[in-house]
Amino acid sequence: MNIFEIKNCKKSFDGIKVIDDISFNVKEGEVLAIIGSSGSGKTTLLRICTFLQYMDDGEMSYLGEKIVTSDNGASRYIGQNELSIDALNNNKELIKIKSNFGLVFQNFNLFPHWTVLRNVMDAPISVEKRDKDEVEASAMKYLKKMGLETKAMRYPCELSGGQQQRVAIARALCLEPKIIYFDEPTSALDPELTGEILKVIKDLANENKTMVIVTHEMNFARDVADRAIFVDNGVIVEEGDAHELITNPKMERTKKFLQKYN
Amino acid sequence: MIEFIPKILSGAKATLLIFFMTLIFSLPLGLPICFMRMSKNRFVKGIATVIISILRGTPLMLQLIVWFFGPYYIFGIRLNSDWRILSIIIGFSINYAAYFAEIYRAGIESIPIGQYEAATVLGYTKTKRFFKIIFPQMVKRVLPPVTNEVITLIKDTSLAFVVAYAEMFTMAKQVAAAETTIVPLFVAGLFYYIFNYLVAFILEKIEKSFNYYS
Ligand SMILES: Nc1ncnc2c1ncn2[C@@H]1O[C@H](COP(=O)(O)OP(=O)(O)O)[C@@H](O)[C@H]1O
Ligand SMILES: [Mg+2]
Repeated sequence: MNIFEIKNCKKSFDGIKVIDDISFNVKEGEVLAIIGSSGSGKTTLLRICTFLQYMDDGEMSYLGEKIVTSDNGASRYIGQNELSIDALNNNKELIKIKSNFGLVFQNFNLFPHWTVLRNVMDAPISVEKRDKDEVEASAMKYLKKMGLETKAMRYPCELSGGQQQRVAIARALCLEPKIIYFDEPTSALDPELTGEILKVIKDLANENKTMVIVTHEMNFARDVADRAIFVDNGVIVEEGDAHELITNPKMERTKKFLQKYN
Repeated sequence: MIEFIPKILSGAKATLLIFFMTLIFSLPLGLPICFMRMSKNRFVKGIATVIISILRGTPLMLQLIVWFFGPYYIFGIRLNSDWRILSIIIGFSINYAAYFAEIYRAGIESIPIGQYEAATVLGYTKTKRFFKIIFPQMVKRVLPPVTNEVITLIKDTSLAFVVAYAEMFTMAKQVAAAETTIVPLFVAGLFYYIFNYLVAFILEKIEKSFNYYS
């Protein structure tokens, strides 16, 4: 089953095309890597998938349910007439659908005034109205999985970057999303800390978590992802089996891009 | 000599009344004004911008006179004697709310966009996002400039003399003139200084209580 699907997505900023007709889907249990030079629109794409940004035209579905349809060359979001970020934020139908996905940011974006535990627990309790004790048990389980059970009562500023990113992953996991997006999860970290994050994500892949990962770690994408897409100038230049695409690219542009990583 | 003490004390009481009433009303009132100032609606934002600009751009002394005499000179309304202190509290509260609104706005605007984005993806509504995530962080950021304003307010309370309100400074001046001695003015100065010191001490404690995160 397709957990997520996007079709003919288009997005411009001030008349400049950033995404020019991108389509892909993600099946249950699949790990999809998105690679491409910086400025090629990868973050914008993830922001569209997570309703932080709207697309100008195209279609989108979660779990087979159509969230965005294309109507006369413009996208139309379920439950709203207007295309604006404000309208996305106030859209009750979209808020419900948000529980299907999580997003891990490049720079963590933990809430600094809350303890690690509260960072992980608050949304399930406050947004999803789940039982506090149940959520606390679940939050501790995920923190433990991230190797951070002893840091539960610490504040984010007391943790290393790698630890903060693991809290951010636990925070996403605690909402039990069907799919997790990662936007360059190791790019803000010192090189010696990237390994711990990649390992955690690899463990999640082994548990068949459905994930979309934007990354510049080519070896990681090659070994962990099932499929990869290479984005350039707002279009998918090449897509296919991750190992194949990264070790044996077909297109000139992909080859040129990958050469920078060897 | 000692007989002026009760007068000074009643003046001190009046000064404290202005100070605390102004804080109680202006600190919360700054928030809706700040929201108006940050509104996406150009009309609402325009009104707030003009009001803030007038309140900050004219002397508070003048504003106090307008609040006190305005109802009579503009509308011909005669108000009873309570209007004196009421108009002072209104004048001070609205003036300080304008300053606090701008401080709050700077505080809110300094919070990284990533905080909004993380909260939005986690499913918080706009209201919850503000009160649970943005507002508490804003409080920490605005405490130092708010402290400055509060200290200024203590000294500003003496401006109530323009509508002949018997606050601390007015009383001290009266006694000094009647008894031809400068001692009451020194006593008043000492009062302001000690009060300032206490307020600064308390606010510093509050600021420190937010040091558990950075
Ligand atoms: N909100 C925005 N307004 C204007 N331009 C934007 C906005 N967001 C992204 N862009 C532009 O879109 C292009 C793609 O950015 P981005 O999606 O961040 O690329 P990547 O993540 O692949 O590096 C960049 O040129 C960037 O400046
Ligand atoms: Mg990016």
